[in-house]
Amino acid sequence: MAREPNAVDFWRGYALIAIFINHIPGIYYTKFTHAYFSVSDSADLFVFLAGWSVRLLAGTGPRRQSTGYLVLRVGGRALTLYAAQIMITMIAIALLAGAAILRDNPLLLEWHNASAVFHDPVHAHIGLVLLTHHLGYFDILPLYVALMLMATVIVVIDRTIPSWLLPLSFALYLTVLVTQFNLPSWPVEGQWFFNPLAWQLIFVLGFVLAKPEGIGDFVRRNIVVIRWISLPIVVFFLLVVWFDWWHDPTKAPQPRLFFILSKTYLTPIRLIQFLALVALFSVAFPYIKRAVPPVVSFCSLLGRNSLYVFCMGSLLSLTGQIIRSIYRGDLVVDTILVVAGIAIMAFTAWLPEWRESIRQKSRSQQPASA
Amino acid sequence: MARKHQAKITVAAAGVCLSVLLAGAVALGQERPAAEAPPAMPAPFSRDCRVPNNAVIAESPLPNVAAALQKRKVIRILAIGAAAMTGRRGAYIEHIERILEQAVKGLDVIVVNRGISGELAADAARRIKIEVALTEPDLVLWQVGTNDALTYVPIDELRDTIVETIRWLKDHKVDVVLVGLQFVHRRAQDDNYRTVRELIRSIGQQENVVVVRRSEAMRLITQAAGSGGGLFPEEFARTEAGYACLAEYVARAIALGAFGRGLRDQPGPSRVPGQPAPAPQQ
Repeated sequence: MAREPNAVDFWRGYALIAIFINHIPGIYYTKFTHAYFSVSDSADLFVFLAGWSVRLLAGTGPRRQSTGYLVLRVGGRALTLYAAQIMITMIAIALLAGAAILRDNPLLLEWHNASAVFHDPVHAHIGLVLLTHHLGYFDILPLYVALMLMATVIVVIDRTIPSWLLPLSFALYLTVLVTQFNLPSWPVEGQWFFNPLAWQLIFVLGFVLAKPEGIGDFVRRNIVVIRWISLPIVVFFLLVVWFDWWHDPTKAPQPRLFFILSKTYLTPIRLIQFLALVALFSVAFPYIKRAVPPVVSFCSLLGRNSLYVFCMGSLLSLTGQIIRSIYRGDLVVDTILVVAGIAIMAFTAWLPEWRESIRQKSRSQQPASA
Repeated sequence: MARKHQAKITVAAAGVCLSVLLAGAVALGQERPAAEAPPAMPAPFSRDCRVPNNAVIAESPLPNVAAALQKRKVIRILAIGAAAMTGRRGAYIEHIERILEQAVKGLDVIVVNRGISGELAADAARRIKIEVALTEPDLVLWQVGTNDALTYVPIDELRDTIVETIRWLKDHKVDVVLVGLQFVHRRAQDDNYRTVRELIRSIGQQENVVVVRRSEAMRLITQAAGSGGGLFPEEFARTEAGYACLAEYVARAIALGAFGRGLRDQPGPSRVPGQPAPAPQQ
């Protein structure tokens, strides 16, 4: 039986839909995702919930899992994510190549950092396997793989010196902001779009806030006050985004990453706005569930099967971009793309649950037939 | 391996050509204004890349690059924008770095590549400001327009984005070289593609910034090579040549921009077979 709709699955499902839409640049429906009004976007939510889920996996009380089990689980998850990244990258390359042949348009071969794969395949394939070469918009899973590998250490620290986990994570984050250190990309000289050494903080925050004790307990006890503090922060950044009130980043004092907005480094402005957004919207789930239960069920279905849906969503986004490049994006094309895309994502989520239910049914029927 | 060797020869040849160009320019820059007495110079492009100079480079001064060269012999280039930052022989910006460094002894060219593939100009524009704050470049090499053409971004919106960003960069004492769209046969027939290409050219003239017309360069290289149509494998070869030549064009644009009219008024590179002689400079 699939688990009942819950806040984590619901918000993760929402994040998956938003990522799918936001990864089709120029599409009309971007205006209906929170990225349009917010400093942070669904990537932050996705990573935060990933940390939260790892904490839930760890269990509490009698359901508490052993450290060895946890290390193997998150390490195994990293491997699964890695395989998923390789698979969708290969399909994306084939999509671009197919579209280029079909349209007789080599421009598509250069799209999304695919150029190196076609023009420098010897090096690029090594880069793809080492995760040092990412296609454009296919760069979240490498971050996720890196975070899951880090999670093998995170769970050990949490079990041995739990009070050190957040300070250590924060210290690493600050070091990265000061030094501007990032993982290099190769063979294309550059750096990772999502710096895992910075983004680990939001993952760890998800992890520690999901805990029933410590900072998680503190936040739950003071959530009303925190929401009141969060409200003006969210409104302020809404106005900043809406009226483009950004200050000149060259005027920011050193070290500048502390004072400017950067997605790559998950800079403090972005992090603070995201945490405020989470605090504020954490109140919303019960109301949404009461008001529109089908929407909650639908998003939770996507969220329960997030890896499959994410993979399919990434490929659908690319397909959407190719289609828009051929037929021009207007409201009709964009509507068809979004409706069809979300429907396919839903089917992708439903299929494994249906297979599991069939398996369970046949298992329950076995003793009767024996 | 042979390709790598060939690439090295190409870069070396381009480096030798540009070294004469730049060495003269640096000497002039130290003694008197560069515009006064241009140095004698050979054709600056390697054989494969010879196209009429004014057909591929819309030149403009690069005062901040020139100042950086004279003050500290270090140029910081921020490469930003869309796709096509790479080729079989490595990123074309690495070629630019090598060509410029071979051209002037002791010159240190630092290229910071922050190109994000698939990025629209509006997103790149936001990121340029942040990256300028973080990397403090003398020059931004902005490859712009390809993704906006593919996604049919409204032309007025694209114009506003590019112009606003160029002006912001100028206000912050950062020079700009715009690298235009890739040349594509079928796309060349597309109105939107042509409009974006023309837009970038007109912005270059209006804002007085260097534009490297990639599509024109590729068209001329293709005609000169006399290769046929089709996507494979000729297209790859053309694209390869395009990347290598693009590096030379950008390096030349930087040299011309940094050292002024004196060099620009020099005889242009060899004519492309079958092409008319370049029109006189305006």
